[in-house]
Amino acid sequence: MSSSGPINWTPMIVGFTAGFLSRLISLRSGRTHYPGYPSGYISQIALAVIAAMIGSSILTSLLGKEFTAATFLTLAATQFRDVRNTERKTLEQEEHLILVSRGAGYIEGIAITYEARNYLAMLVALLGSALTLAGGLTVGIIGSVIVLIISEIFMSGKRVGDLIDVQPAKISFDKGSLLYAGDVMMMEVGLPHSRERYEKEGLAVVLTPKDERGQAILWNVSQRQAITYEAAAAVGAQKDIGYPEQSPLCRMEMPAGTGKAGLSILPVDRDMAKLIKAIKNTPVLESDKWSKMSSPVLKRKEM
Amino acid sequence: MADAPTPVMFAIVTTKKDSVTGGMAPIFIAEDDQERERIAMWISRITNAIVHDLHNGTLILTVNQSS
Repeated sequence: MSSSGPINWTPMIVGFTAGFLSRLISLRSGRTHYPGYPSGYISQIALAVIAAMIGSSILTSLLGKEFTAATFLTLAATQFRDVRNTERKTLEQEEHLILVSRGAGYIEGIAITYEARNYLAMLVALLGSALTLAGGLTVGIIGSVIVLIISEIFMSGKRVGDLIDVQPAKISFDKGSLLYAGDVMMMEVGLPHSRERYEKEGLAVVLTPKDERGQAILWNVSQRQAITYEAAAAVGAQKDIGYPEQSPLCRMEMPAGTGKAGLSILPVDRDMAKLIKAIKNTPVLESDKWSKMSSPVLKRKEM
Repeated sequence: MADAPTPVMFAIVTTKKDSVTGGMAPIFIAEDDQERERIAMWISRITNAIVHDLHNGTLILTVNQSS
């Protein structure tokens, strides 16, 4: 230890602060309704502290010729792979307890994001400490802020509202029992009592893709389940075990295959603006990104 | 789980018993439309089955099997 001389703490402190902030910024729960409880926040913050520390101290330990310490830090970094598994397990457990499920695609998306966020905190901390080492405190702070902003822009994925137009639609019944949201046939409701409920209290929207990408994400079942989950989380769903026909649904316009989708819901809070806002704010799932190439419907021009 | 449901026939409720034969699901025969709807609703609430109307006097109840 004596060979390394006096330790320069400044790069570590700047890097740590930048990395920790990078993680905190993304820890708002509004969008995915997760983490939704204090213990969830605590575990995330603890991980953020560790990630920021690893990132910010690695350069200092290398410069101090403490190669053992540096090696240990890279070892610690690999432990963050488990974050994804932990998140996934928690959310999958919850899936059986909630009436409108998130769907496997959404859960995977959230899990991947949480893992990546910790690595990002590490990178931001590393860059922050490197800049401070190279250019002093002022350059370090300004540079860290720029890195933070760039990383935020880079990491914020698209929303459904960017790719899809959401319009209010009327709920109607055709051929006696087929539930329609606008022009989109949703399902068959066999019980007259439930049909009355839908006509009186139901809400419906039609989702029209703005471009090919929008159409591709709508054809993904997981994406539609995520939209349904967000819709139900925003306005509530009158549903309980034993009332399967009152589940909120998001279905494509079939058999026409126009690429439009409809969503029907029996809300607790009958607020169309809130519903549309929630749908537009649903994140576009990672798992759809490939499907732009593979969906045969995209070859059709009339959408 | 909820991504791709696989419906399985669970029960049949009908007022026209001649229009339905055999199969894996029990058949409940109702006197009139009102009783048919009542039976269907009760079975649905008890078993979480979904009611579909075939519009020929028959209601079918299906449950989603988790695949």
